[in-house]
This record gives sequence, C-alpha cells and structure tokens, in this order.
Amino acid sequence: MRRVVRLAPLYLALLAYSALVLVPLLALFSASFKTAGEVFEPQLIPQSPTLENYRIALEKFPLGRFLLNSLLVSLAVALGQVVTSALAGYALARVRLPGKRFLFGGVVALLLVPGEVTFLPLYETVSRLGWLDSYAALIVPFLATPLGIFLLRQFFLTLPQDLFDAARIDGAGHLRMLWHVALPLARPALGALGALSFLSAWNMYLWPLVVTRSTQMQTVQIGVNMILNEEAARWNVVAAGAILALLPTLLAFLVAQRQFVRGIALGGLKG
Amino acid sequence: MAGRNTLRQRGLKLWRLGESLEGLGLFLPAGLLLLVFTLWPAVQAVLLSFQDEDPFGRGRVFAGLANYAELLKDPHFRQSVLLTLRFALVVAFLEVALGLAAALLLQYPVPGIALFRTVFFMTTAVSTAVAAIAWGWFLHPVGGLLNRLLEGMGLPPQGWLTTPQWALYSLAVATAWQAIGFNAILLTAGLQDIPDELYEAARIDGATGPVILWRITLPLLSPVLFFVGVLALVRGFTAFGQIHLLTRGGPSESTTVWIYRVYQEAFFNFRFTYAAAEAVLLFLLLVLLTGVQFRILGRRVFYG
Repeated sequence: MRRVVRLAPLYLALLAYSALVLVPLLALFSASFKTAGEVFEPQLIPQSPTLENYRIALEKFPLGRFLLNSLLVSLAVALGQVVTSALAGYALARVRLPGKRFLFGGVVALLLVPGEVTFLPLYETVSRLGWLDSYAALIVPFLATPLGIFLLRQFFLTLPQDLFDAARIDGAGHLRMLWHVALPLARPALGALGALSFLSAWNMYLWPLVVTRSTQMQTVQIGVNMILNEEAARWNVVAAGAILALLPTLLAFLVAQRQFVRGIALGGLKG
Repeated sequence: MAGRNTLRQRGLKLWRLGESLEGLGLFLPAGLLLLVFTLWPAVQAVLLSFQDEDPFGRGRVFAGLANYAELLKDPHFRQSVLLTLRFALVVAFLEVALGLAAALLLQYPVPGIALFRTVFFMTTAVSTAVAAIAWGWFLHPVGGLLNRLLEGMGLPPQGWLTTPQWALYSLAVATAWQAIGFNAILLTAGLQDIPDELYEAARIDGATGPVILWRITLPLLSPVLFFVGVLALVRGFTAFGQIHLLTRGGPSESTTVWIYRVYQEAFFNFRFTYAAAEAVLLFLLLVLLTGVQFRILGRRVFYG
C-alpha cells in the first residue's frame, strides 16, 4: 500500500505524458468513425459509429495504390541501403584498400549534406533521365546512404580479427568472409538499419511531392495531402484517410518495436 | 634464395592488388550512387546558384553573385530567415524538454513501464503527414479538442493555424510532438549508459532526488541532450511537410519558412537558380551547426 502511494505521482505523470502522445491520435481516430452531424461534437466516443468515412475515402481516393506505392518504395530503399551499406561498410572496415581513409572521409562529409539542399539539381537530373513520375525517381537516388555505411563500418570494426583470420586460413575470400562471418553477426545491426531506412523512406514528403504527377505514382504522404485538399469540409473523411495511412507503420512498430528502437538509438550514435 | 624472395614478394603484391580490387568492388555500388545522387547534386546546387535564367531563353548564363546580392536585399527572404530561426529554436526547446521528461519518467522499472515505453516511443511510427493531420484536427477552429476545452473553461477559442501570431508556434508543437518518440529513445539509451555505481555512491553520500538529477544525471546526459538539440534544430530548419499540409506558408507569409520559400521559388515562380542560392545558404547554416556539434561533442560536453 505504501508503495502504491509512493508511486502514485510517477504514474500520474506517466499517464499525463501518455495523454499528450495519445489524445491527438485518439481524437483523429474518433473523428474517423463519426457521422457528419457529429464530427464537431467534442466527445471521444462516437454516439453512432459509422464506417461510411472509410468507404468514402477508399472509394474516392486510390488509397490502396498510395499505400502499395509507399510500401514498395520504402522496402526497396531499405533493402538497397542495407545491401550497399553492408558492402561498402565492410570494404572500409576490413579490406586493405588504398585511399581508404580518403573514401571514409568522403562518406563522413556526405553525412552533412541534407536532401533539402540537393533536391533542386536532383530534380533536374531525374527529369533529364526521363524518370519523373516513376518508381525509379522515388527509389534509385536513395539506394545508398552515408549514415548506413558509417554505422556498419563502425560495427564491422568491432568484430574480433581472429574470426577473419580463421576464415582466411580456410581459404575464404572477402566476399565469403562477408557472407559467412560478418553478416550473420551483424544481423541485429542490419535489422536496425533496415527499420531506420524504411521509416525515413516512408516519411519522405518533399521529394515525392515534386517528382510525382499522376495519382498512380503518389505515395501515401502525398495522398494524405490530396485528401485534405479535396475534403477539407469533411474532416471525418480526412481522419479516416489519415488513420489508414497510419496503420501500416503503427502495426510495423508494434510488431518490430525492438528493431525500430535499436535503429534509432544506433542512428543517434553518429554524433 | 633471392629469386624465391622476389617471387614471394611479387605474389604478395599481386595478392594485395587483388584485395584492393575486391575492396573497391565492394565499395563501388554505394560509392557510385552517392557520387551521382548526393555529391554531384550538392556541387550542382552551388553552380546553379551562380547562374541566372537567360531572358532570351537560351538556357542559363553565369551571373556571379547576382542571386546572393538580390537575396540579401529581398525583404521576403529576410523575414523568412527570421521566421525559420524562431521556429527552429522553439522546436529545439520543446523537443529537448519533452524528450528529457519522457526519458526521466521511463527510467524507473515499475510495473507496466513497458506499456508506457511503447506509448512514448510510438510517435516514431507516425509520419509527418499523419502528425500534421492529427494536429490540424486537434487545433481545428470549430471541431478541434483544444478550442472545445478552452470554451469549456470560458476562454475564447483561437484560430491556431489561421492567425499569424499562432500559426508558427502551432506548427512547432506538431513538429516537436512527432519527434517525442525519437528523442525519448535516444535519451533513454543515454540514461542507461550512466553507470549505476555513480547513483549508488551519491545515495550513500546522502544525495536526494533533485541533487542527483542536477549533479549526476543532467551533466552525464548532456552530450546526448546536446545531440538531440542539434538534431531538433536541423529538423526545425528543414521542416516542410507539416507546413505544406497545414498552412501553405500562410496566413500572410507567417509560416513561409526558408525551405518552403526554396520550394515556392523553384516550382511556382520558376526561379530555379534563385531558389538554389537560398538552398545553398541554408546548407551553409546546417553545415555550420553540425560543425559546431562535432567540435563541442569532441570536447565532451559534461566537463565543459
């Protein structure tokens, strides 16, 4: 009993903070089930809950296509970043390579270059390649990331040399050592990087906004913008669209929370 | 004897060459992609900023510093820089405060803490667009919960996103809210890195909660806090999606931040080279910021 009294302030604070996180989302969730007549009423629990808003959102907007585009692009970017980062990170960590310090310095320097600065010339490049409004524009420029190379290089450096010596005595080349020694040990790091890459690709806004034209190619973030533009008078429909856009990442987070957390904690180490 | 030695040396050399080529091959995919899609565009942005659209439609011509000179005189640009600074500072303050509060609350292993951790970390799964919609609804002038609460307390409702004095701050709150999960994760990890012995020693010396917080937790956490603050500043300086969704830079340019102006100049006023100059200046500021971060973190903040 005394313990309960002692912990009460902590639990109150935890609940208050949870409210800060959850209330905006719950209000949105609630609005998505409300009828047009009820949507401006303040109560969180709808009096006559309806799925009508979801039906309208799904019928009027190709939300399935938007979600599919986002999923495809994010998966491709995440996979690409993990592969290219693992190869380059391994080369920088464990291969005798002339000019290695120079290459690594270049990678670190590129950490400083934000996409917000490169997007104008990149737009012209992509347009010259004829890639506007295509998956290529959304995927290819992001298949490599300096952060991923940096993180995996640091990770590969921590592996004991003995493992590699043993493999070398068995006659293994670098590709085999990467595949059979380094990568199996790096699985948690790869999962974390993958989750981080997936999230940042899923979150892209400015880039898909400027390189996509047709609704066929738009990602779900841009789709949300489209719904808001066309349905600003029906917030319950906007809410339904936003909830549908939220569900995939929310579910992924709840299932793979550990990878997400590790990815972000790992990404934070770059300082 | 000598012959065998040179043979062995030559073999070693050949083997090393092979290894170098192998390493280069492994580096190549990432290296080429970064060269074409990051390094070259960064260089091009600088080159573009020194050019101007030829009025006779013959492509671009070298213009020296003309774009920069014009920018310095452009009152819209100046106002947008000031807006952006204010926005970024508010975002950074809110993010550090909210992140620290989250991490401090999550540090006790009480029953049910895993559930709270999941809730606190959850905003990492909320995209910028969805966060913007959630806050757009929460701050909605008629249906928004905030105004309903204010009315309930007898206070006048506000146009949180539709009046110039509130819009920028409303967007800053939405931006910081979306980053709660991210910052809580980083700062929780930072707290876990503080050795338990320090706390035990302090408790044996009779230190109480606030003293421990002020003398041990905060100083030892300061590198991570600083890191979170810099990342928040960068986020503040480059926030785009929430502004595009909720205010389009308005009302009356009160939320036309730096990056939003770059977008407008390039894709609405079709002044690509002028926009490039704006982007390059933003880039310089961000590089400066990150440079300061590297310098200070290199010196270990908590002894500073």
